[in-house]
Amino acid sequence: MNFDELFDRHLLVVVGKGGVGKTTVACALGLQAARRGKRALICEVDGRARTAHLFGVEPAPIGKVVEARPGVFLMAVEGKAALAEYLGLIIPVRRFLQAVFKSRVYQYFVAAAPGLKELMTVGKIWYEAERTDKESSKRCWDIVIMDAPPTGHSLQYLRMPAAAREAFTAGLVHREADRVVGLLTDPTRTAVNLVATAEEMPVNETLSMYRQLREELCMPSGMLFINRVHRSDFFNTDIERLLSRAARTGDRKEKQVLTQVAARAREEAGWTRLNARYRTRLAEGVDMPVIELPYLFTEEFGSAEVHQLAELMAGGESVAGWREGRA
Amino acid sequence: MRSLADVVAKHEVVICAGSGGVGKTTTAAALAVHGAQQGRRTIVLTIDPARRLADALGLHELGNEERPIDLDAPGELSAMMLDQKGAWDRLVERYAPSAEARHRILRNRFYQHLSESFAGSQEYMAVEQLAALHASGRYDLIVVDTPPSQHALDFLEAPQRIADFLDRQIIRWFVKPYFSAGWATLRVVNRTAGNVLRRLEDATGVSALVEISDFFTATRGLFEGFEERVRAVYRLLRSPATAFVLVATPEEQVLTEAEYFLRKVADLSISLRAVVFNRVHYEAAAEFRALDERSLRRIVARAIKQSDRIQRLVDNFLRYEATARGDQLRIEAFRKQLPARLAVTMVPNFDEDLHDIDGLRRMIPHLLAA
Repeated sequence: MNFDELFDRHLLVVVGKGGVGKTTVACALGLQAARRGKRALICEVDGRARTAHLFGVEPAPIGKVVEARPGVFLMAVEGKAALAEYLGLIIPVRRFLQAVFKSRVYQYFVAAAPGLKELMTVGKIWYEAERTDKESSKRCWDIVIMDAPPTGHSLQYLRMPAAAREAFTAGLVHREADRVVGLLTDPTRTAVNLVATAEEMPVNETLSMYRQLREELCMPSGMLFINRVHRSDFFNTDIERLLSRAARTGDRKEKQVLTQVAARAREEAGWTRLNARYRTRLAEGVDMPVIELPYLFTEEFGSAEVHQLAELMAGGESVAGWREGRA
Repeated sequence: MRSLADVVAKHEVVICAGSGGVGKTTTAAALAVHGAQQGRRTIVLTIDPARRLADALGLHELGNEERPIDLDAPGELSAMMLDQKGAWDRLVERYAPSAEARHRILRNRFYQHLSESFAGSQEYMAVEQLAALHASGRYDLIVVDTPPSQHALDFLEAPQRIADFLDRQIIRWFVKPYFSAGWATLRVVNRTAGNVLRRLEDATGVSALVEISDFFTATRGLFEGFEERVRAVYRLLRSPATAFVLVATPEEQVLTEAEYFLRKVADLSISLRAVVFNRVHYEAAAEFRALDERSLRRIVARAIKQSDRIQRLVDNFLRYEATARGDQLRIEAFRKQLPARLAVTMVPNFDEDLHDIDGLRRMIPHLLAA
């Protein structure tokens, strides 16, 4: 598996601990798919329009599509809305459906039924990944990208179709769940991508998630994205020189500038060392091709940064520019 | 109350909330270490299946049990983690009306497959466990690390959702053997329900409905008194002994979530006492903010000879300044929305990852600064 081969798949799942940049990676993958001439749908699970905010577009209502860039479409997926849509497909009598939706039993059941929300969410994503246009019978989307909620939760989502298949041994739910599991576990159609930062807790979660994906869920893996990597090393001697000069000088401004410049260099060198250490741990524990993405220094992280990371991820390791922080 | 130290000192329960990846677990662990240092009998409770607290405390594994942590402090520190699957099994064991019912629930296929993913069960078990620990009187301070969730308030809303689901009116239909007169009556009397049932049979097969019905029949006793337990949990969450602490980082997405949290907290009449900003980049002193790149280079050149190294040092400094400027502006704007009496704390971006007791000790002074 290499980066280009990702885009031969129909479904790219993006999982990782909260706050590591899953949404950013999902959006950058969408841009890369579009650049390859594909129609890409990014499905944001249970979110508050994070993808729309990142692209700086007005979010569409849940279950509806907005085109953020040419070829890059966004959709917020939510279990309850997906269930309503699904029921609409299998029970075409509208008036009857309205009565069901209004009933208290339905309301309560949907709010708290075990695993229903997760099952319907993944079901909806499966539906979008397989959907074909009625007239042309062409696929509606070349590629669907699932931006999953934080770790513990995202594995629950991916686990539900198999759980439903086991729990219901016959009937429609069993058959549909079986088809969803079929897609999720098919290496020719699906790839699960991990996003991590090279720090203690995200690495630990990533290692445990990787094991579960491999051993328990048997899902085909894609790439491991290591995000927010610091890679500007500074010579300790430089930092020492700055500080010793700061100690000697009588000029107050000079003293402050040198101290601050040294402090920031030390901060950056510290994160660089730390990232290097955890990158090694990730590489040892996760048998997946790695794409590293730099920490971007910016006043505000927005669509320009997403575009920049999309470029960098396509260049992979060969892009040396950002090593020096020119990115 | 102006500092987080006061907030912690004056409350028995401190709940750290916020979106994923903001350092909630680390903050909770640091506050617990501080509690023990102040001589209090402290426990920190986490609900995350990803074993983050164990990481934060530099431990390899945390179990379902209260586990004492070796700490050189006048008080005591324990930690506890709730494993979801285990949590439901324990709920069943604790409240099942009879050994026979317990056995029937635990071997019910429906329960076995779905107990792991019962929506909100993690959150519910966390608050129930919290209530039990509080009632035990064994601890002076309980610090809670809430589960990671996009919607930070799942934690508060889950108990009510589960209570709604287990609403007796509704359960009444389910707690009858599937082929009993109850279901038959329902089918005949209520056309809509009858139709739904037929569709459900098509969708799931009759045997699954029998399992589900059997599950609810077996759990009837279990869920009696559930409403009362949920009410008790909400009483504790709203009591003056409980303080909520919102943890955030100065990133746009995180602050958007945090704003939503502030609104919901007000709606639910929960008392938010403090806000912690983690990983804050600080700007250098105001007086040389105006210095341009050339003057910076000139000053650095007095210490370093090689021009490429000078440039790298200056670039790095300017990049950190840009990031810091963004952080400070976002924090300033966010603080304007906060009630005046809130304790606001800022923890700087350290040059290392804080995940063991020493790291937590390094964080504590910043966390508690007035």
